[in-house]
Amino acid sequence: MLTYVVRRLLYGVLTFFGITIAIFVLVHSVPGDPVSFYIGSHGMGALSHAALDEIRREHHLDQPIPQQYGWWLRGIVTFDFGTSFINHRPVTALIAEKLPSTFMLNLVAFLVAALIGVPIGLWSATRSGRTSERASGVAFFLLYSLPSFWVALLLMQLFSVHFHILPLFGMTSDDYLDRGLTSKVADRAMHLILPVVTLAYAQMAIYARFSKSALTEVIRQDFITTARAKGATSAAVLWHHALRNALIPLITLLGLTLPYLVSGSVIVEEIFQWDGIGRLYFDAISTRDYPTILGLSVATAVATLFASLLADILYAVADPRIRLEGK
Amino acid sequence: MPQQPVAEDDSTPVDGGTVIRRLQADINTLNPVLIASKYDHYVAAYLFTPLLQLDANLLPTTAGSLTDKYEVSPDGKLYTFHLNPKATFSDGTPVRASDAVFSLNKIVDPKSESAEFAGWFEKLDAAGTKALDDHTLVVAFKEARAPQLVSFNGVRVIPEHVYAKGDFKSAFGMSAVGSGPYRLVRRIPGKEILLERRSDYWGVPPHIQNVLFKIIGDDNTAWNALKRGDIDETIIGSDTWMNESRRPELQKTIDFRRFYMASYNFIAWSEHEPLLADKRVRRALAMCVDMQSVINGLYRGTARAMNGPFTPDQWSYNPEVPVIQFNPEGARQILNSMGWLDTDGDGILDKNGKPFSVEMIIAGGSSTSVAFTQLYQAELKKAGIDLKISPLDGGAYIQRLVSGNFQAAYASWDLDPDPDPNAIYHSSQFPPGGQNFVFYKNPAADALIDQGRHELDHAKRVAIYRQLHALLADDQPYTWTVQVSLKWALTKRIRNAKVSPGWGLFLWYPGELDWWIPKSQQTK
Repeated sequence: MLTYVVRRLLYGVLTFFGITIAIFVLVHSVPGDPVSFYIGSHGMGALSHAALDEIRREHHLDQPIPQQYGWWLRGIVTFDFGTSFINHRPVTALIAEKLPSTFMLNLVAFLVAALIGVPIGLWSATRSGRTSERASGVAFFLLYSLPSFWVALLLMQLFSVHFHILPLFGMTSDDYLDRGLTSKVADRAMHLILPVVTLAYAQMAIYARFSKSALTEVIRQDFITTARAKGATSAAVLWHHALRNALIPLITLLGLTLPYLVSGSVIVEEIFQWDGIGRLYFDAISTRDYPTILGLSVATAVATLFASLLADILYAVADPRIRLEGK
Repeated sequence: MPQQPVAEDDSTPVDGGTVIRRLQADINTLNPVLIASKYDHYVAAYLFTPLLQLDANLLPTTAGSLTDKYEVSPDGKLYTFHLNPKATFSDGTPVRASDAVFSLNKIVDPKSESAEFAGWFEKLDAAGTKALDDHTLVVAFKEARAPQLVSFNGVRVIPEHVYAKGDFKSAFGMSAVGSGPYRLVRRIPGKEILLERRSDYWGVPPHIQNVLFKIIGDDNTAWNALKRGDIDETIIGSDTWMNESRRPELQKTIDFRRFYMASYNFIAWSEHEPLLADKRVRRALAMCVDMQSVINGLYRGTARAMNGPFTPDQWSYNPEVPVIQFNPEGARQILNSMGWLDTDGDGILDKNGKPFSVEMIIAGGSSTSVAFTQLYQAELKKAGIDLKISPLDGGAYIQRLVSGNFQAAYASWDLDPDPDPNAIYHSSQFPPGGQNFVFYKNPAADALIDQGRHELDHAKRVAIYRQLHALLADDQPYTWTVQVSLKWALTKRIRNAKVSPGWGLFLWYPGELDWWIPKSQQTK
């Protein structure tokens, strides 16, 4: 098991450096640089060339790309992601400021989606082919197909503008700082409802269909028939024999979902003014704020690597055969 | 909560209340020297006081500024400011002339990276700029320029004893000590900025007690927030204007405004392109813009046609210059007379075997740019001209535009308060380094631009720019198309929200500093 983990870790480190090169080259090959953004957003006449040169010099933009990469890599291995072109704040501080909001929103959405979606999926696997299962399949497909920005606007119109029962946007109320602890928690929960629903409904549909098909696959196999033939109750068959074998595809899905906890969702964060990583990313890209784009890309890449490492370890826990192969 | 309909009982301004303003994006910084967006300006206007304010007509004024009076030396190189001796910063310390010198030095120091203001003070004579005493400031320049006076609106004075400590670029993004009528209560990045009226303010006190800025990026969310009364003002899109502004139930609580800002759209024709170097060709191309269809169809009547380089709201505007009339047949005749004929019968004019074809770059993200160029493409085709449209991503588009690497481009300018057009039409301003990216060169225009730049008598400047307006309109280095009006929605509890022709609701004096809220509607 240990060699398995160490080997996965080494692959992870190599992949990380590959990713940094890819990100760096990609970001720098997009036409337009932060300085031309400055020129574009400031009216005629007010441009000081001395100031623009100073910006280029400070951020090493006047040097060849390989050297710029060197400067940047030297920074990130010491956890110095540089400072934003736009607001002169350290990128690490920006990420640290936005990360908790994004993490909280996506974690709640993930839990809601998984805790509702997976049981429904397992339930429908046991009644595969029946009308109720078919109907739920169609319903989930419809849910999955609804564009989230549209659903978000409908939810806002209904619950915030028409009925006035939920806040329209933001993470907290105006008087949040003056409230007591319970009231603060309640306020946060109220603000979470609409964005969580917007994020969770499509995810829930995916979880339901995914776990349904995973379990259906297993149920069809011979050892399940054997277990039934032994006289085990259908609940016992499901819990002891089928479920564990259906876990592998679910772990894969988990590994794919975890990076979203860090990377955030641009659309939902923008509509609900959720002050998280998604909005930061979007703003940074539209202003060509290289240090912020690069810092966020690295953070997301690390999260993805970590999630796939975690998934690899969980595979080994769930399925002893994978452990043996690793040796 | 939803707002109550407004009763018509109150006409005298009263103090108190909170106005809730919307920011489309978070501010970059509270440091007034490093300002990089209009949102930064919106907040700074409450916290800091400049050496001079601009009035509703964008002319410099001492009202509401740190200056009691000022003198300009006869050669135009020395500006002497007599500062208001009562002026204090929000930490209680007096505003001294040495603080103004410190602020100016921070603006011109390349290490500050003050992209917004440094260009205005490129000719500052730092050695001659000094504080004569606590309240007398002399600012010296190496060269006299007429637009210089307006630039003092950008000098928001900061206290040296505060801003000299720590890293200037990063230490003052979250805090503020200024001499404005408000002080900072808190800034929560990504969420809000709260200001409160200073009880010790030294000037004419404003009426509103608190100003709360909420950051709402999404226009739809902001419009819903305004209807709920979560915010008091927001810009609205053309769709909202068309669909909602006439609804009686909304008109009860919401005040809809429409006005023109100092900005315009234009087609840039590169004179490095042999095809476009002849002004007769540029005029023929201008005659193919169906302005009435654009205004009525594309902008639903909320735009107006331009006749040249200055807008009707600028004092430099020449009302006698006619708008070029839509006349594709006339355009074809001009081109025919220059030897452009459709010899091969393919519907496109040609000369020496080459078809008349132009590529136009546009910002692909702008739906109105796309729609405009498509309409134009169809009209040009009727006149026998082939227009290729190249939509580019924002950054790539700006890079090609400012480097002059295009045949034609559809673009827009936001104008500075002073109309001096040196930066965009003078032949000394070719890229790289300058913004005359159409490579326009006419010695007569250069001479008028130079004269206008150095003429200190306002009436004479007006005459010079009117002449320049006619000359540029005739040369058509750009084809100026339309000014598009902005639409704004305000809750009706906000009183005395006035509009400046060219600057809109904010950033002129008194502007937003003169708003008030009736007593009965101060709480909600």
